[in-house]
Amino acid sequence: MDNTDESLINAHRRGEPAAFGELVRRYGDSVFRFLMRMNGNRELAEDFFQETFKRVHEKADTFRGGQFKSWLFTIAAHVAIDGLRRRRRLRVVSLEQSFDCADASGEQLDAVAVADNSSNPSDEAIKTEQTEQVRRAIALLPAKQRATLVLAYYQQLSYRQVAQVLGCSIGTVKTQMYRALRTLAQKLPDLSGDAK
Amino acid sequence: MKRHLTERELIEYQFKLASEAQAEEIAEHLKDCGRCRESHEKLKRKFAALDLLRDGTEVSEGLISRVIEQAQVGISDSILKKRLLRFARNDKWIGAAAAVLVIGLLLLVPLFKKQMPTREFAKEPDALKEEIELQKQAETAPAIDLDEEEAIEMFAAAKEKAGAEKLLDLATGEILEETMAERPPFAPASAIELVVLPRRDKVQLTIYNSADLTLVRERRNLTLKKGWNWLQFMWVNTLIDPTSLSLEPLYQAGKIDIQQLVFPARLRELGRWLIRSDVSGQVPFEITYFTSGLSWRAFYMGTLSADERKMELGGYVRVTNKSGEDYENAQTRLIVGKVHILDQIAELARRQYPYGRPGEIRGRAGVWDASRGAGIYDHFLDFDEDEELADLKRKEIRKEGLSEYFLYTIEGTETIPDKWGKRLLSFEAEDIEVKSLYKYDEQRWGPQTIRFVAFANDEEHNLGETPIPNGTVKIYSQAESQGHLSYVGGTNVKYIPVDEEVELNLGPARLVSVEPILMNFETDNFLYDKNKDIAGWDEIRTWKIEVTNPRTLPVEIEITRGFDTAYWTLQLDGRDVSYEKHDATHARFKLEIAPRTKRTFNYTVTTYHGLRQEALTE
Repeated sequence: MDNTDESLINAHRRGEPAAFGELVRRYGDSVFRFLMRMNGNRELAEDFFQETFKRVHEKADTFRGGQFKSWLFTIAAHVAIDGLRRRRRLRVVSLEQSFDCADASGEQLDAVAVADNSSNPSDEAIKTEQTEQVRRAIALLPAKQRATLVLAYYQQLSYRQVAQVLGCSIGTVKTQMYRALRTLAQKLPDLSGDAK
Repeated sequence: MKRHLTERELIEYQFKLASEAQAEEIAEHLKDCGRCRESHEKLKRKFAALDLLRDGTEVSEGLISRVIEQAQVGISDSILKKRLLRFARNDKWIGAAAAVLVIGLLLLVPLFKKQMPTREFAKEPDALKEEIELQKQAETAPAIDLDEEEAIEMFAAAKEKAGAEKLLDLATGEILEETMAERPPFAPASAIELVVLPRRDKVQLTIYNSADLTLVRERRNLTLKKGWNWLQFMWVNTLIDPTSLSLEPLYQAGKIDIQQLVFPARLRELGRWLIRSDVSGQVPFEITYFTSGLSWRAFYMGTLSADERKMELGGYVRVTNKSGEDYENAQTRLIVGKVHILDQIAELARRQYPYGRPGEIRGRAGVWDASRGAGIYDHFLDFDEDEELADLKRKEIRKEGLSEYFLYTIEGTETIPDKWGKRLLSFEAEDIEVKSLYKYDEQRWGPQTIRFVAFANDEEHNLGETPIPNGTVKIYSQAESQGHLSYVGGTNVKYIPVDEEVELNLGPARLVSVEPILMNFETDNFLYDKNKDIAGWDEIRTWKIEVTNPRTLPVEIEITRGFDTAYWTLQLDGRDVSYEKHDATHARFKLEIAPRTKRTFNYTVTTYHGLRQEALTE
């Protein structure tokens, strides 16, 4: 079997079960990392991961060629952004509540401790704290700015690809990126330790 | 460029946001300007922190397998659909078979025209009864022993007798006004005459976690014709309980009458509603039913602070759908509490016929009544009997008897496809003051110390907004130096009302231990009866209790000792230790142990037996 992304998605459309599995394995880690950076919570990232590939499976027929990776991240970004906007909380209501469907949204991230392999416990503690600061700083960004930053910086997509993924112009992507960086410049820890 | 570079220019240069010309200009400037170069370096160092998140997180193999597995279920379905389509497109014999069928029908119609004189249905009401009888036979006959060709013949005969056009009109509602008001039509023999059930506009799920039960309320806009309408509802491959189906118009209720829900013989897993409408056009309806296969469970994750005095608590709910039906954009409500159900919904859903097999004797509306030698349609004709009419119009569903329960609603809507689960955040609370406590009670837990965390679901503990549903709790604690988490223990919690205290049993303690040692045992104060047999005595036991706390934190411990009799007295030998009578047969000691210390105390318990019990009472 030809193993390009496009041939795999075409094979999946023809109903070959192995093709979808190959795509999930090929892009699983990078999609998962993207989702982790987007929301900072492993459990939530797992839910979004399932949702992303569910949509890939269901919408395979709508893939019109081009770069599969961009298409995949378009879906993942939508899932993550929608998910962050729609994260809901339970509330107690009266049993008499009318049958309506009011929407509520909330953007909030969970902090997750990141372990690393530093041998010195003191360095390790500092690094963990700094990582946490970075995560918190990114968590403060609005969903679109966060998606732009994660796609461009961590997933190393070109601005053109990011624009394609987020369905906007390159100018918008650059503006979002600049705003994200401007915010981060205030919030990121200084690794050299000479800044406040 | 003579001025110094702004932060914006430096950021745009660093992250390639500037145009080529701007970038070149900035690069030139940086060559010559030490101050800007320094700012640039500082900025680079600042953003180097972003690389701390370049960890090697990997997706678990289990998650990948799950995703592939779930997709493969869908793939098999779509392959089947595609194959069926291909089959339908390519196999020319289907067309040939259809042609033969049409020709056969055309040949049969004139034959029956000769045998049976045509009557005008509108002018002769009796013809309708005959027509109903004939169609009823056509409906029932194949259930006995009739092949498809014979059934077609019977149906053709009925059509011919009553007037083919009229029969069609009956089902679609386009009939004369006066007739429509009195006579309901047959359940249609094919789907052509049916109102098609459109997509849901809204759906609400109320999921009960104490039973495998979900109440579904759907809102759909049905297009009705003035007159009689048949609406078909199918539940193939789902776990919907057909006996619970209910249909109500949300508007124009006075002009729309839901007459009956029938379950036609030979047609499995579908029901048809007979609706009489005085209006035509779109009308919103609510369909409600019970289904099985949807469930939810709550679970919680707590993280203790290093000193174990505070806790962060996150609550989650996982909703799982195995009902066979996708529920898109559903408002989801979760019920906590006991529900009394008469039947298991899943079993009702799997029954071949909703109320048993055709031919069974039931004698009520909505079922075949073999004892009367006819079917459901007899009931339609007995319209003058009020009681019977009431039964026809309303089906009482006595499936639930709700006791105390509580309702949670998930804000907004959720799409819960079949075979998928969805986890939702319920609440997050920080700085919950907790009491870390150890307990030792040999009669309950054997010779081991059990660890507890206690808190209250109230405002003081940053909780108390809502009751907390029962679920599983996992507690982690932060390792003191590195801030890493370690698993402490887990337990199930029952429903916690607001302002209620809760103690979480985290299982056996690994470090803190209690060791009771029997130091002395003697008997005394014997009493004898007239035969000089022993009739009463005292047993005196001296115990030494050793409590060890190797932890770096002080701990509070509660030791419960049982004596198997209500007749006892206790003498305590130990400073800073107190006890209370916990109940008739138990004493409870409470003490605090400093970090990395061992404490010992003694007590002597005297138990009174036989006639000595009276001595104690006196």
